[in-house]
Amino acid sequence: MQPSSFFPSPPTPRVMGAVNWRGLGTLYMKEVRRFLNVFTQTLMAPVVTTLLFLAIFTLALGRAVQQVGGVDFALFLAPGLVMMAMVQNAFANTSSSIVIAKVQGNIVDLLMPPLSPTEITLGIVGGGVTRGLLVGLTVALAMWLFVPLRVAHPLFVLYHAVAASLLLALLGLIGGIWAEKFEHISAVTNFVITPFSFLSGTFYSIERLPGMWHGVALWNPFFYMIDGFRYGFIGHADGSPAVGLAVLFGVNLALWLIAHRMIATGYRLKP
Amino acid sequence: MTAKQAAPENGSAPPLPRQFGAVNWRGLGALLWRGLWRYVKMAGHTVAGPCISSLLFLAVFVLAAGGGAELAPGVPLAQFLVPGIALFQLGHSAFENAGFPVLDDKLEGMIGDILAAPLTPLETLAGYAVPAALNGLLTGIVVLALAWIFVDLRVHDAWVLGGFAAVSALLFALLGTLAGLWADRWEHYAMAENFLILPLGFLSGTFFTLASLPETARGLIAFNPVFYAVDGVRYGLTGHAESSLLLGAAVLLALDLALWLLAWRLFATGYKIKP
Repeated sequence: MQPSSFFPSPPTPRVMGAVNWRGLGTLYMKEVRRFLNVFTQTLMAPVVTTLLFLAIFTLALGRAVQQVGGVDFALFLAPGLVMMAMVQNAFANTSSSIVIAKVQGNIVDLLMPPLSPTEITLGIVGGGVTRGLLVGLTVALAMWLFVPLRVAHPLFVLYHAVAASLLLALLGLIGGIWAEKFEHISAVTNFVITPFSFLSGTFYSIERLPGMWHGVALWNPFFYMIDGFRYGFIGHADGSPAVGLAVLFGVNLALWLIAHRMIATGYRLKP
Repeated sequence: MTAKQAAPENGSAPPLPRQFGAVNWRGLGALLWRGLWRYVKMAGHTVAGPCISSLLFLAVFVLAAGGGAELAPGVPLAQFLVPGIALFQLGHSAFENAGFPVLDDKLEGMIGDILAAPLTPLETLAGYAVPAALNGLLTGIVVLALAWIFVDLRVHDAWVLGGFAAVSALLFALLGTLAGLWADRWEHYAMAENFLILPLGFLSGTFFTLASLPETARGLIAFNPVFYAVDGVRYGLTGHAESSLLLGAAVLLALDLALWLLAWRLFATGYKIKP
């Protein structure tokens, strides 16, 4: 008996080239819709928090600290705060996406489809970078109402915004894969991401730091993100902008390779 | 015939219902214990998080101000900040430890276990709000103890400190309970936290003096109850107050009472918790 005479022939598998564009696009859109769906939490909340930080710091220190690095304190502070909001959100997007998928078990929906490790990495990290940049843009616009922000080097601003969001999105992906419970990832956020973003020169010039700590700060990639980003706005940097460009590129490359390797081998993803 | 049906015929009467007086102390105690144990079990999140964030706030303010700065005359910057930061963490912790269990129980359906138990609405409310307030107080104590390692702290008036801390903890615990009852989804809870608690906490004089505010803002801050809480706690620790302590205590107590009655009423009518 010929089954084909009774049933319509099954659909032929979709033919795709070197890149599964439709799959990649779907994964990316899923990651973006995930945070747009709750935009009060993912876009508005960072705006409120960042404006609050701006308010309390200028109110508390406005008179004691008039100028930092040759500019008004508020002008010095604003780019750092924008960067802080971007990195925290880029990290939150990828890490929460992976941890929730793992805990709820729908991670298989990510592993089953014909997506290569590169495509998976690109789709998830793309969502994180998009959230970082959107948050950065929203926060910067909101701040611009209060602080006369001016852009001195637009390309520096753009490069650092993308590089920093990418770096934290990759860290979030790696952290999310490593974490087995929500508690693990909240520990990474509390003990790694928040301290680094606070202590990396957002609120003060690292020239303030005592001897040894000044040297330590120069090894901190977060410092270069904030410093380079601020250089793009006010034209003044604490460190060397050229070194910053190279450091961010190198760290991103290394993290990308680690994330790619983790997904390719299925570390803590596949049974 | 199954063993279950046979059991009474063997002579063992079913257990009598437990007798209790006006208050179901055992039920209330169980809820209290549950709230406290939850806090201890999640200490990595509930205690360590506030500690780290307090130290970070302290560090960046002191570094940004470049040492020597004084916000209020005669009170060094770090000593001015610590009471405010500790109170902010106390309040946030009390809010979170009330709102989170209420909403979690609601969404997971466990609220049914509590509604079905022989607990009055008042006992249910106390079962959520009181452990949350205690959790907040614990967080505040841990943060103060940690700050004490780095900052020279002396208690100026222990009674004022303890009293203001207690009424503030209850205030935030009640706000958290109400937020948990009102929220239908986690997003709503996060909205209450981001758009109500954080602004109230940050714009309360935790990090600045009244003198540094523009005229209009100075009038507005009098409507922020957290301002009185910070002020009272700061007086208890440093002896420096910016407003009348009596007024502050009256505002906080009145607010506690009003929110308690509101939350009691909501539990009694089953607002968003009974079908």
